[in-house]
Amino acid sequence: MIDRSSAVADNNSSPLLTAEMMSKLERMELVSRKIFRGRMKGERRSKRKGQSVEFADFRNYVSGDDLRFIDWNLFARMDRLYLKIFLEEEDLHFFTVVDDSISMDFGSPSKFFVAKQIAASLAYIGLCRGDRVSVSSFATCGSPVVLRGKTSAYRLLNHLGSLPCVDLSPTMEEAMRKFCLKNSGKGIVVVITDLMSKSGYETAMRMLVAREMDVFLIHVLSPEELEPNVQGDLKLIDCEDGDQREVSISASLLNRYQQALAGFIENAKSFCNKRAIAYVPARSDEPAENLVNEYLRGRGLVR
Amino acid sequence: MNWISMLSPWQWVILLAIPPAVLSLYFLKLKRKQLAVPSTMLWRKAVEDVHVNSIWQRLRKNLLLLLQLLFLALLILACLRPGWSGQNRIGERRIYIIDNSASMQATDVAPTRLDAAKKRVRELIEETSSDDVGMLIAFSDRADVRQGFTKERNKLLSSLESIQPTMHNTDLTEALRAAAGLANPGRSSFEDLTDIQVADAVPATVYLLSDGGFGDLGDFDIGKLQIQYIPIGEPTTANVGIVSFAVQRSEDKKNQLEAFARIMNHGNSQVSFTASLELDGKLLDASTVTIEPNAEAGLLFELSEMEQGQLKLMVDYADSLAADNVAYAAIRPNRPINVLLVTPGNSALETALQTARVQQVASLQVEGESFLTDPKYAESANNSAYDLIVFDQCSPTTMPQSNTLFIGGLPPRDPANAAKAAPATPEEIAAGDKKPLASDEATSQPPSDWVFGELQGPVIVLDVNRSNPMTQYLEMGSVGIVEARTVTPPESGDILMISDAGPVFGIAPRGPFQDAVLGFSIVQATDQGVSVNTDWGIKRSFPVFVYSAVELLGGGITESSAPTVQPGWPIGLQLSSRFKNFEVAFPNGTRTELVRGDESRSIFTQTDQPGPYAIFADSLERPIETFCVNLFSTRESNLATEATVKMGFEKVDASKATAQARQETWRWILLVGLAMLVVEWIVFNRRVFL
Repeated sequence: MIDRSSAVADNNSSPLLTAEMMSKLERMELVSRKIFRGRMKGERRSKRKGQSVEFADFRNYVSGDDLRFIDWNLFARMDRLYLKIFLEEEDLHFFTVVDDSISMDFGSPSKFFVAKQIAASLAYIGLCRGDRVSVSSFATCGSPVVLRGKTSAYRLLNHLGSLPCVDLSPTMEEAMRKFCLKNSGKGIVVVITDLMSKSGYETAMRMLVAREMDVFLIHVLSPEELEPNVQGDLKLIDCEDGDQREVSISASLLNRYQQALAGFIENAKSFCNKRAIAYVPARSDEPAENLVNEYLRGRGLVR
Repeated sequence: MNWISMLSPWQWVILLAIPPAVLSLYFLKLKRKQLAVPSTMLWRKAVEDVHVNSIWQRLRKNLLLLLQLLFLALLILACLRPGWSGQNRIGERRIYIIDNSASMQATDVAPTRLDAAKKRVRELIEETSSDDVGMLIAFSDRADVRQGFTKERNKLLSSLESIQPTMHNTDLTEALRAAAGLANPGRSSFEDLTDIQVADAVPATVYLLSDGGFGDLGDFDIGKLQIQYIPIGEPTTANVGIVSFAVQRSEDKKNQLEAFARIMNHGNSQVSFTASLELDGKLLDASTVTIEPNAEAGLLFELSEMEQGQLKLMVDYADSLAADNVAYAAIRPNRPINVLLVTPGNSALETALQTARVQQVASLQVEGESFLTDPKYAESANNSAYDLIVFDQCSPTTMPQSNTLFIGGLPPRDPANAAKAAPATPEEIAAGDKKPLASDEATSQPPSDWVFGELQGPVIVLDVNRSNPMTQYLEMGSVGIVEARTVTPPESGDILMISDAGPVFGIAPRGPFQDAVLGFSIVQATDQGVSVNTDWGIKRSFPVFVYSAVELLGGGITESSAPTVQPGWPIGLQLSSRFKNFEVAFPNGTRTELVRGDESRSIFTQTDQPGPYAIFADSLERPIETFCVNLFSTRESNLATEATVKMGFEKVDASKATAQARQETWRWILLVGLAMLVVEWIVFNRRVFL
């Protein structure tokens, strides 16, 4: 008898975003640490110089430059040709990928629900700022839902709300490969996962880094994983591959588990740091609002 | 430290199979709760290093398993019954001899010495291994083998529990003889025969639990017995005890009684207490007594004349032994003996029957020979109106329903016997018609009835029967007899006096009565007057004889003080033949029937309870006789325990045996095991925190 009571999550019982939270999110914006070329002119001030009303700098005229940008007043005074440079405003590509493996379906609220909440929050910020928002799960990486504009918020929430945990979800590696093939553009990628993949997460993350994307990894763990409250002689069954482990819980075993967990988190963190991936740990029992408001803001993803 | 197995081999096999079973259960762990987890990845890492080394690593830090194995080890250890300072006693023979005499009721060791001894024996019995055989003897002044040699401890223990305290004295000889007889079987019971070894003597250990008050055992040979003397009680226990108490008629003042008591102080300090005297439960007198250490004091109470009653002397002093602080005496019921003397005239006999001493106990009625034909005589003779009828120179036609003494006369023949044997009847002999039986005929076949010889003389009395109270004080050497005839009592009778011609005085029972026949008369009434047949009448021994005859044959009470015996000893009672049914009332009020035998003396043996006893006859309301049972033993009252006892030629020290008791530890181990079980349970429930 498999005890899945802890997996009973209120996936559909509460909305992903409350009105109060949405009003807070509207004041935020996504920040990219890298300069990306947007496909369309957006509301975002880019680090790229371009055509806008905001002056940035002067530079010497070289032949071939657009004559419209020559500062004629300066030529009159100094008898030399200078070119005015303006700041460019552009849109941002924002991708969010939610891990939809069965292992995410644990905790109360479940890790999956929290992951969807985070994804919804960030995507909503993107929509409000006119960014291009792409929402997908591991299973739907090949056909992401792409949205733009605040009016698409309803579609966003609908899509995320209806995402299920999939029994035979592709591994993280497969999902990321598919994602990279499909999305050639650059931008911010937020991967929300518990990293509980026996085949490892390193290859998958390397693919994203290779695409020069600004990668955020939000590592969601449930309290059951962080501080397991178990005792007795147990037969542990992996909900994904059915792997069985017989353990007799003792203080020393729990110590070793904590060591293994700490090692696992530390590995993930150092892996990410080495590759300029922002590693953000998250607990499933903490409200997603706090994470977005405080933690992601601290990490510079939103402001 | 030694070990005693409590289990049989197959039980051991089962017990020893449990630890491997527990271990294998730990490996198998058949019942595990299933729990779904997001991923076993982290758990796998956590348990990986355990798997790396060996499967035994799994057990390395398993506290629960360790506790369980420890518990089992303790259980097995407990089943081995480890104990201290014992030896392996396989196949040993043990004889436990427990003193249950009166002094063992002392309370100087709580609750009593006897209980302490029983507890000690219980320990000794429990210490024995299963091959040992044990035997249990309780002794006071007699030995009582409670349990013969047995291997079954339960039998020994239940026999041990059944040992009750007695009020008896202490005499170890019989108990030791019983033990020695079993340990040294080669001994023949006939001392004059050559002692032939009939079987190998088996050495046995005797555990003697006593307070040592059994005196010297003389030259008793303990043979192969190894005696371990375990003294019970404190060596310096003080005690005050009454060692004698009696009531007597005052020598000086008539109609007064005096009660004497002797009280002994067995202690090393002076004691002072009140001794109170009660008559039938009412306080009569009291006196304060002070006794020096290890000394005794006498007490005298003067009492006014009383007909009968029970006196109780109590010493109001709290010591370890309460049994000797009370003593009983009784004033005997005063009942004169009815004596009828039928004589043609015998001044010597009449005088002897009228001495003050006889007058005190008997009322005498003197009648002539013609009284025998009086209907009044026939009536009273058949109704047992007389305790004793003395026929002087005469005899009745039928024997009366009372004791008789024939002097010079012969009792009539029993018609049944007369028809059978048909020897010479007294009348025929007297008339000289028929020859009496020849003496050789009489002796070759024990006579079933009286046999009388012819008158012959002179006769000299050679010897008297000293064992009979009637003749024990008689000195007949100087008595001359002119004529006498031999008197041979029937088989059941006794010859009391033998002359050169043969027996001249005999006594024989007749149903509940006794007949004594003297073969010569004192005086002989003839037509010429009275002729003296013997000079016995003027000798001193004659009134003594008459008094003894009245006392014995009359069955009367001649002393005002009731006899007293020690508990357990038989008492001989002189009961009047006038009554048919007798009952003895015990001090606690219960009654038992006393069967009176053919003889005038009855023996009563149920004297275990101390106190006053009363004997009731027929339907009389008042007792006809009383007697008392009192401890009265200096040895029992002396509670000081002896450290050394002398067994024949060997001295046995107390210290030898005192360290023998086995200190059982298995109970403690079992307790620790149970505590372990509790700890294990707590650990099981809270092990996450450990």
